[in-house]
Amino acid sequence: MTEKKSISISGLGNFLIRRGTGIGMIVILLALGLRANLFFALSNLMDVLKQGSILTLIALGLTAVLIGGGFDMGAGALVQLTCNLAAGLIISGINPAITLPVGLAVGFLTGLVNAFLVIMVKIPSFVATLGTMFILQGLTTYYNQGEALTITQQPFFSFLGQGRVGIVPMIFIIVIVITALMHYFFKHTRTGLRMYATGENSAATALRGVNTKKYLMLSYCISGAILGLTGVFQASYSYGASAINSGMDFLIQALSAAYLGSTFSKTNELSVIGTVVSGMFIAALSNALIINGISNQQISGILGIILVLSILLNVIKKREIGQVTIF
Amino acid sequence: MNDTAISRAPARTKIINFLSSYGSVIGIILVLAVFQLIDNRFMRIQNIVGVMNSSTLLIVMSLAMMMVMSVRGIDLSVAQVADAAGVIAAMLIIAGKPFWLAIIVALLFGLGVGIFNCILMSYLGVPAIIGTLGMMFIVRSFELTLTKGAQPQILFTLPPGRTKQFFFIGQGSLGPVPMLIIICLIIIIAMYFVKERSVLGRHMEAIEGNVRAAFLSSVRIRKVFGATFVFSSVLAAIAGIMLVSRSGNAVPRGVETYLTDCFVAVYIGTLVSKKRKFTVVGTVIGALFVGFLSNFLTLRGMGAAYKTLFNGVFIIAAVAMGALQKNRK
Repeated sequence: MTEKKSISISGLGNFLIRRGTGIGMIVILLALGLRANLFFALSNLMDVLKQGSILTLIALGLTAVLIGGGFDMGAGALVQLTCNLAAGLIISGINPAITLPVGLAVGFLTGLVNAFLVIMVKIPSFVATLGTMFILQGLTTYYNQGEALTITQQPFFSFLGQGRVGIVPMIFIIVIVITALMHYFFKHTRTGLRMYATGENSAATALRGVNTKKYLMLSYCISGAILGLTGVFQASYSYGASAINSGMDFLIQALSAAYLGSTFSKTNELSVIGTVVSGMFIAALSNALIINGISNQQISGILGIILVLSILLNVIKKREIGQVTIF
Repeated sequence: MNDTAISRAPARTKIINFLSSYGSVIGIILVLAVFQLIDNRFMRIQNIVGVMNSSTLLIVMSLAMMMVMSVRGIDLSVAQVADAAGVIAAMLIIAGKPFWLAIIVALLFGLGVGIFNCILMSYLGVPAIIGTLGMMFIVRSFELTLTKGAQPQILFTLPPGRTKQFFFIGQGSLGPVPMLIIICLIIIIAMYFVKERSVLGRHMEAIEGNVRAAFLSSVRIRKVFGATFVFSSVLAAIAGIMLVSRSGNAVPRGVETYLTDCFVAVYIGTLVSKKRKFTVVGTVIGALFVGFLSNFLTLRGMGAAYKTLFNGVFIIAAVAMGALQKNRK
């Protein structure tokens, strides 16, 4: 009798652990939305997609490096650097179209430096990216001299971040395109699958004759390129760059999105689609909470709780101690 | 390999051994000497005492971080806990409570966060980097809500009778020695005995080496691993109280920048030990170095940009030196 009961309970638990994330997300948003109907208005939902796009892009960049088995503390700092660079370049009168390749190149180079430190010098990825994070932050502060860089009257450039096609925000279309490319790359190409394998079990993959170093390097570079590009989009989205150092805030939200996304899969595998859904969920949640009259200060705490809970869903079964193996 | 080297050139290996164990200390001294050459205000007694005094907070916080990192954990919430503990103490004093109550409540807050962290990381198995990052934001949010949106809690405008005892911690001195330095010394010695001379310390070292092996030799890994988080948060709360008592006001989010300094201090500290381990003495030296570095940058009028740049370069340099040495073996 008791045995049977415990089995059915654990069955329910399993079901909740597997489908819990999705159900939980829908329930939370429904509950908040019913309290404040404004949330469900089509224009508000489109705003959510717009607000969540930058965060989702950062989370996608982070997912790329996490899939390859690396880690990046400096993801937010890199976005801020290229955001400032793009804004500064446009103010100095350069054709806005050039900022895109510049952002891409700076991001790619940063990824390459990270990869060099991790793979060649063999510094654990946490410390290496922490160091590059400081350097990126220092460069940003040096570049903008502590002042906000505001862009005005750049209709083409602003269209990227603020424009709409019909009612769909342009930036969201960019997210969709990048997501589709990444999903195809990671799930349907040999290179992508090998990156997954490298991240999953580096030693076993190496024994299968795969050059794991190459794939880890590739994941840092892809991640850097996406993050660098995101910075340019952010400059367009927020009409320039603010001097406030919000890299850490970006980082926690992006990490939450990536780990929350991994709870969609049975084996807690990181996935591009999961990251996008979770990123948009976090944006929707912030939006719904604000409509419900919860202040900005409390939202960061709620995001912290979500981060802890989402990782808890992943690890509660293993119950190892939470040592950090990446430094 | 090592043996042949010794028999062939004992003098040379001696020099190499000497350099590999003390080279980084010499490096640190050289950097400080260069600072002195660039700016001769640097090594004045007044300046040194000033730096020592302000480094005490960083030393205590870095020791907190070091305890967790020495078992391969990490505590990103350490600066935020210090921040919040300071704010709590300041608010209680402003509300007219006695100074000992303010201190005890702030310490209890640290203990509470520590126990929560301990359960989360050690008993539930959340990776420390994620769990404490989440905790950092939860504490920040709590603190901002408490102060109604980061209003500074100003103590020095209160009548001196109410704050005199509380300010004694940070501004008073026993004879010629400032109280802060005395507290800091007591904490350093206490931590030295916990980390290097106690059973707990040995068990921590076992966990650092290999968790499985430690578990098999009947080290209670969950307890030991969790205990470091409690140590860390309580030490952070002490640092927070020291800071508020020293400066006479508590600005929410004012301590956050210390987090990065802690990392630099701890990693530079690993250079001091021969096996690149996290040690109490090393961390203290690392924290003093960071203190002198930021003092130098302030003397030269170089802003935040240079400080973060230097922090990054020193972290990478410190760890790269250790990593390269390991690779060569």
